[in-house]
Amino acid sequence: MTTSTDEVMAELQGRVRERVRAELVRHGASAALEDPALFADIDALLRAAIERSQPAALLLPELLGDPSTWRLDTAIKYQTHRGASGAPIIFVKQRVLMPLLRWFYEFNRDNFERQRRINQVLFACVQELAIELAKQRRELQALSAQSIQRRP
Amino acid sequence: MNLAFVVQRYGADIAGGSEMHCRQLAERLSSRHDITVLTTCARDYVTWENAYAPGTSTENGVRVQRFPVARRRNLKMFADLSDEVFDDLGSTPERQLEWFRANGPDTPALLEHLRVHGGEYDLLLFWAFRYAPTFFGLPSVSERAILLPTAEEDPAVDLDVLPEFFVKPAGYLFLTPEEKVLVTTRTGRLLGPSQVIGIGLEPERARRPSRDVLDRLGVPEEFVLYLGRVDRNKGCATLLEYFEEYIDGGGNTTLVLAGPSTLMVPDHPRIRALGYVADDVRRALLSHTRALVVPSPYESLSIVLLEAWNYATPALVNAYCKVLQGQVRRASGGLYYRSSREFQEALSWLLANDAGRRELGEQGLAYVDREYRWPTVLERVERLLEEVSRRRSAALA
Repeated sequence: MTTSTDEVMAELQGRVRERVRAELVRHGASAALEDPALFADIDALLRAAIERSQPAALLLPELLGDPSTWRLDTAIKYQTHRGASGAPIIFVKQRVLMPLLRWFYEFNRDNFERQRRINQVLFACVQELAIELAKQRRELQALSAQSIQRRP
Repeated sequence: MNLAFVVQRYGADIAGGSEMHCRQLAERLSSRHDITVLTTCARDYVTWENAYAPGTSTENGVRVQRFPVARRRNLKMFADLSDEVFDDLGSTPERQLEWFRANGPDTPALLEHLRVHGGEYDLLLFWAFRYAPTFFGLPSVSERAILLPTAEEDPAVDLDVLPEFFVKPAGYLFLTPEEKVLVTTRTGRLLGPSQVIGIGLEPERARRPSRDVLDRLGVPEEFVLYLGRVDRNKGCATLLEYFEEYIDGGGNTTLVLAGPSTLMVPDHPRIRALGYVADDVRRALLSHTRALVVPSPYESLSIVLLEAWNYATPALVNAYCKVLQGQVRRASGGLYYRSSREFQEALSWLLANDAGRRELGEQGLAYVDREYRWPTVLERVERLLEEVSRRRSAALA
């Protein structure tokens, strides 16, 4: 008898899923999650969304418009509106202030990176749900049309 | 064939993955081909400071031509530039090219050598797209260039200037099928001829090391192993967190960390940090551990995973790394996890199922026997060299 990674993983993931489901229900999650089969479908749907959360595969960023109004900007750009006379200010920012504040900047940047990832995953989940909803609407419309045709 | 191997660093004392890959291939192919390694004088991959003498030498039967690095890497400037080009708001192609220049090693004489003498080689193999000698050197000899991208799913692979670069070579050698998919996806079109080669390993099973060195170090009978740099970027912070949760939940094993650490390892009776270990300890650890844990989210090929399988040791890997998950599933040589709960379940399964665990390890070994023995790897390399040569001859005819 051969041990298969896929089979063992399916068994382990099923066990984990069941534990998570039981805990969510115990902590007051929707009663719909009491159905293990439905929970497995939801779990698969969200996992698929996470798999497809790379920025280039997301529609919502396209619809949100000007990225500078909503995207997290984690890079410091040393700029001044004072033209050439602002050069000393940039020098002080870059050479004096930044080395002193780098630890704080890096701490914040790490947190922003996490927030950016969450945003991408949420965009992907919304996209996946919108796809499912659009498909179901189509199927519903088709079924409605069929039932109207069948009426005497 | 007259071949040039272009790599950012070269030497028996250099531990980097792509550098070691280049050296092992050069040493094994040098009896069949006339090989010249074109490299820099750098030993340190952080600063690129010149450490070796420039000029030509012979190292382990391979001709090596070293070129001096013109400037050390400016780490602060490079960090700021990285923040800028990897920012979601995007960056201009000029700033991205500047990033490749700043990443270095900046070796103008090597680039000049490729421009002037590149045509004297039948084929030139370039390692690691992210380093300046490959990124700026390959385009000058693209019609006879073979790229080993060593690409992984980190932000660098998403830079806008890369699709144009990735289609330039005449052929490709990939480390895994996932890397091939990644590079193909980035270019958005079919690539030229390629082979997935990985790396070769010598059989180790017959010479199983004794446990003595581990007993001297106080390594317990039952342990799971992490082998490599103990670093946040390698997923070790998450591994430590998950492992502590596993122990708190009643788990009963020891995690041995073997490798230099940049992390604060918690003072925990079930966690043993050995620091850097000598080769004999490394072999004994790989051979006697219950399982190897590979928590890294980014890998283009995990050599340590193949080394563990070489001892029929199963693995527990981070599923978020497509390469690791792909390797484990192809081999059926271990388990994977996406969360602390999955980690706990998978580790518990491996420790509780002696027969299943051994089978997974044996299947890993069979996979290495099938895919990663030197004759197999070299045959694939030769096949690609021949195909690229044939296509070049046909194009010139």
